[in-house]
Amino acid sequence: MRKKKINAYQIIKVIVCILILAVVVFPFIWMILSTFKLQKDIIKWPPSIWPKAWTLQNYTKVFKRIPLAIYIRNTVIFAGGVSICSAFLDSLAGYAFARLNFKGKKWLFNLIILTMLIPFQIIMIPLYMELNDMNLLNTFFGLIITRATSAYGIFFMCSSYTGLPESLEEAARIDGLNEFGIFARIMFPLNKPTFITFFIFCLTSNWNDLIYPLMMTNSTNMRTLPAGLAMFVGEGVRETGPALAGALISILPLFVLYCFAQKYFVEGIAVSGMKE
Amino acid sequence: MESKIKFSKLFDKDHVGYFFILPSLLIIFIFTIMPLFEAFGIAATDMNIFMSKWNFTGMENFIRSFQDERLLNSFKNTAIFVLFNVPIQIAISLVLAFWLYQSTWFGKFCRSVYYIPVLCSSTAVGIIFNLMLNSTVGYIPYIISKFTGEPIALFAEEKYAMAVIIFLAIWKSFGKTVIILVSGINNISSTYFEASEIDGANKFQQFIYITIPNLLPTLNFILLTSIIGAFQVFDIVYVTTGGGPNFTTETIVQYIYNRGFSAPYEVGYASAMAVELFIIIAVIILFFKGFMERKIEKTF
Repeated sequence: MRKKKINAYQIIKVIVCILILAVVVFPFIWMILSTFKLQKDIIKWPPSIWPKAWTLQNYTKVFKRIPLAIYIRNTVIFAGGVSICSAFLDSLAGYAFARLNFKGKKWLFNLIILTMLIPFQIIMIPLYMELNDMNLLNTFFGLIITRATSAYGIFFMCSSYTGLPESLEEAARIDGLNEFGIFARIMFPLNKPTFITFFIFCLTSNWNDLIYPLMMTNSTNMRTLPAGLAMFVGEGVRETGPALAGALISILPLFVLYCFAQKYFVEGIAVSGMKE
Repeated sequence: MESKIKFSKLFDKDHVGYFFILPSLLIIFIFTIMPLFEAFGIAATDMNIFMSKWNFTGMENFIRSFQDERLLNSFKNTAIFVLFNVPIQIAISLVLAFWLYQSTWFGKFCRSVYYIPVLCSSTAVGIIFNLMLNSTVGYIPYIISKFTGEPIALFAEEKYAMAVIIFLAIWKSFGKTVIILVSGINNISSTYFEASEIDGANKFQQFIYITIPNLLPTLNFILLTSIIGAFQVFDIVYVTTGGGPNFTTETIVQYIYNRGFSAPYEVGYASAMAVELFIIIAVIILFFKGFMERKIEKTF
């Protein structure tokens, strides 16, 4: 163990990190405190951080105004379904592009990367018409199937599978495992941290997606959290307190999950001990 | 016998790949590539969102777009966004990742907290910042007013609006970049760092000569995905300024959205502009990808 040296560089490093922490955290602290303020305290000048009188009425009001429980259920099904499908299918495809050889591989990979460049707005209308023709509008299956794989995920998985050592794969091949076996028993388990990282990336981006679920659903029963919340704010109501409470509630489930998945997540991809 | 040999050949190392990519390819083909070609078709019509009587107009939408000053303005705004957002975000994340990649409690804590904004929807971020930056009730203008004597309306003033949007976009997503980079740094063999330490390299030299070159594949991934994302910036603009004030924050996708999904509802024209955006991004990315790949090949 080396003795820790404390020098100017270390101090600057810590100070900068803490300053950035403050910039990141301050809006959240302000939001949490504001949800307990009376409406008239939220919109007064000069503004204050600490609530004058504490109240829960913003929370009761937001639950009364919009069906938050249904929104949360829908968001869990939509974002969860998409993430599970996408993480598996992207693992398969990413692995193939990283470790297997087949004709047209480079060409197909470039094609997939190219699809990443397509702004969602360009395919939004044709996609809507397509789902309409298939009778899949306003269904969870329709919401999930179009996103059950993603070019981003394939790219992401491919980068991480490329980095895994080749010796294990060769050893397994000599031991007589077939290609599916090598993937399922050796490479996939090794890549689990990336799998979980991508699962959370995917979950967050779909949980928070606004336009896609807004376009593909039109019944309140199928709305997701960001879409429902956006409709609530978009109504032009001057109820800033309940809007803030709704925003906080929409963040909480992901935040709790994130706290549990942290171990995998912040550690990053730990392949120590297996490097060549 | 013959067919059996062929059958087993399907599953060998040179062919089995097709089975791995088949489900993904099918889904991408049906739900991305097919709609894309349909969109090309729509771009050649004067269709509106109600689909009522439309005519084939050929290249008219494209020709019209070249004279559209609002489109030119939105290109300029998007270029400003990309040129500031991408380098600043990557530079900040790179430095932070290099500082915080070790598994100390401080490093882990910072990384986890930096990720919190990524968990928020743009809707939520919009709700928070619209109120916090509001010039009559917001806390930030209040703090500014203590120094300047007068609160500044950050979203409402032309000279600040874009800068605030760029800041918000970085605030919302740098945590993700940090985490991806930390994974990349942890994948670099620690023997490199140990060897360089014995040779007397300082932190800065390690950063330039070991971290950066070995991170090139990860940086490649981040650069490409963030350039693409920045060109398509929409959510954060939509939930805050909506393109205003006076179109100073109207990005291309925001303009496409405004054209196609509000007032004139010109889906055909909006699709034509989306096709142009797609071509521009594709050219830039393919150029960049070739450049980065040559660089990576040189290093490894």
